[in-house]
Amino acid sequence: MKTKSQTVIVSRLILAGAFALTLALNLRVARADETCSSPYMARIEGQEEFVYVWTLGVEGLGDGADKLVTVDAKPGSPTYGKVINTTSVEGRNEAHHGGFTDDRRQLWLAGLENSRIFIFDVQSDPAKPKLIKTIDNFAEATGGVAGPHGAYALPGRVLIPCLSNAKDKGGRTALVEYGNDGNYIATHWLPTPADARGAAGAEFADGYGYDARVLPRKNALLTSSFTGWKNYTRDFASLTADAEAMKHFGSTMVMWDFHARQPKKVFQVPGAPLEIRWAWGDKHNYAFTATALTSKLWLVYEDEKGDWQAKDVAPVGDVKGGVLPVDISISSDDNRLFVDSFGDGKCRVFDISDPQKPKQIYEKQIGKQLNMVSQSWDGKRLYFTSSVLARWDKQGADNEQFLRAYNWDGNELKPAFDLDFTALKLGRPHHMLFGATKMGKAPTVVASK
Amino acid sequence: MKNAGGTGSVPAQILGRHPFDRLRAGSGRPSKSVTAGLIAGLVPFLITTIAFASNLARDGDHDYDPPAPGSYTLPVVKDAGDGALLDTDGKRINLRDLTRGRITVLSFIYTRCAAPKACPYATGVLGQLHSLSAEDRALAINMRLVSISFDPEHDTPQRLADYSEGIREDKSGCEWRFVTAKSAAELQPVLEAYGQAVDKRPNPADPQGPLYHILRVFLIDREGRVRNIYSSGTLDPRLVLADVKTLLLEESRVSKQ
Repeated sequence: MKTKSQTVIVSRLILAGAFALTLALNLRVARADETCSSPYMARIEGQEEFVYVWTLGVEGLGDGADKLVTVDAKPGSPTYGKVINTTSVEGRNEAHHGGFTDDRRQLWLAGLENSRIFIFDVQSDPAKPKLIKTIDNFAEATGGVAGPHGAYALPGRVLIPCLSNAKDKGGRTALVEYGNDGNYIATHWLPTPADARGAAGAEFADGYGYDARVLPRKNALLTSSFTGWKNYTRDFASLTADAEAMKHFGSTMVMWDFHARQPKKVFQVPGAPLEIRWAWGDKHNYAFTATALTSKLWLVYEDEKGDWQAKDVAPVGDVKGGVLPVDISISSDDNRLFVDSFGDGKCRVFDISDPQKPKQIYEKQIGKQLNMVSQSWDGKRLYFTSSVLARWDKQGADNEQFLRAYNWDGNELKPAFDLDFTALKLGRPHHMLFGATKMGKAPTVVASK
Repeated sequence: MKNAGGTGSVPAQILGRHPFDRLRAGSGRPSKSVTAGLIAGLVPFLITTIAFASNLARDGDHDYDPPAPGSYTLPVVKDAGDGALLDTDGKRINLRDLTRGRITVLSFIYTRCAAPKACPYATGVLGQLHSLSAEDRALAINMRLVSISFDPEHDTPQRLADYSEGIREDKSGCEWRFVTAKSAAELQPVLEAYGQAVDKRPNPADPQGPLYHILRVFLIDREGRVRNIYSSGTLDPRLVLADVKTLLLEESRVSKQ
């Protein structure tokens, strides 16, 4: 007969064994999907079959409404590179970014202008997403937050980084959480000097927001900053000519204790730091961003003391202006960073194998204007779209609106297909997300290699 | 569950009750000799992990210090769902009765799961919490662990009873209930209420188990409200423990007001 202590030891051995075997079996799980997806999200197990494009409606073009466009991305398919479905939503909402829920059964798509969120079922028929719910009381439900910028999958919920507020429509904003059921959960305002909540460097805080991304194994949530409703709904030429308005752009990033949702440190990152891309490697405790107005790559990294730091590590084109880097995409091996620039329409590729010293190794003219880039997990396929904001896109012949797919062979981008969204009477293509018939079925994999 | 034996230096008694026992048999699974070697090689891991279990130290997958209990809040996510289930004696039980009255950590599992970072990991975390509760009276009397199978056809009450026998051997810990359902149809409303995605894999002999699923573990307060949802990326026993203690401190503050 065992003594109690023996019993406890045996019990612990059993449980410890479960842990240990789990660790031992933590083999590399076959992963696919877009390289900037939330690490909490179920994965596509093979190649993407569809590219979903959240598209701004254009008055007088087609039905004029914002729409979710599905493009066939299956090589060999008779409709490869073609639009196979569109689902319009009500009106024009300044369609911008979106994201899947962690089970990949829903796609949440946000409208910046009127703070509406459209929730699509992408599980029942991935080729034909179906609108199942619209959140149209966002500002009321969230305590005055406006400008939902996208949706980032967390376990059982989505994190919605925002750009503005309903009170003065400036840049002061918050992170908002909704459950996968569409129920409001919480609002976390970005820190300011008057609302520091213990964050180091809060004297520099501007309270602005843009992107929000998590490195799970460090319990680190990083946010960036852009500008408020008054600026992003304004005509671009008029805005840039207004020196006072141009002062109201974000110049900070914030590191948060993710679990506690508490800001820990504010970094000075002047010039509107936008998209955040955490590296994927086990020991790679760093993230990149690009500053749109100052045209630089910044690295946020953990130093040898375990403290988080931020510094600019490379220029993107001519830092004197006109380049306007917007979206960035990191390769899954953390060796390449693709940087899209709106101003000159180029994609620049940086070797980031030494993250402290990125080196540009390639550039390609994609179009006359350029915004988003999405990259497959194997690094072989990249998709580009053209639109930034309805009132910021270029005018006349420079207002190209496209989805362009390329193959990357490690040295060069080679065209795969090209869709003219104006000729197709669709609108201004913005955020792209990958779909597949197996979505929502793969087990969630932690961001570790 | 019977001991397959032949597993090197690891005590047969342990492996006989080990959640990974199923890895040693069945088509498409690792062979006995391969698995025996693997298990035998795990002894250093076992020793290390025992220390981990006792100290709840940071590691490569959870490389941070958790926030102090009570230094943050846990907003209500939603009400915890109800449903008709069966306990390990085959008796009908309402899930509602397992999500009220104590702070509950509820995990969806199936016993045939062999996916790394999935059910065995979740059960391991609950096991750690259970072991801790054996040494912490506040946890023992205020916390409840619930493991719900979403594989009712295979996970019968008897099988769950066998499965749970070794895992919750320490009777002095907090309540730990294992439940299943009479049928998939009766389970479906529970899965929907908790957003637990489950699908059959095309290959039933898949080495990771016959079902696809996402990992879902829920923290539910004494009033039956979901206060946190964990997946493999956030299911750190130190965070769950901090959350449980945060809810206990919240109750303490409310009772003083």
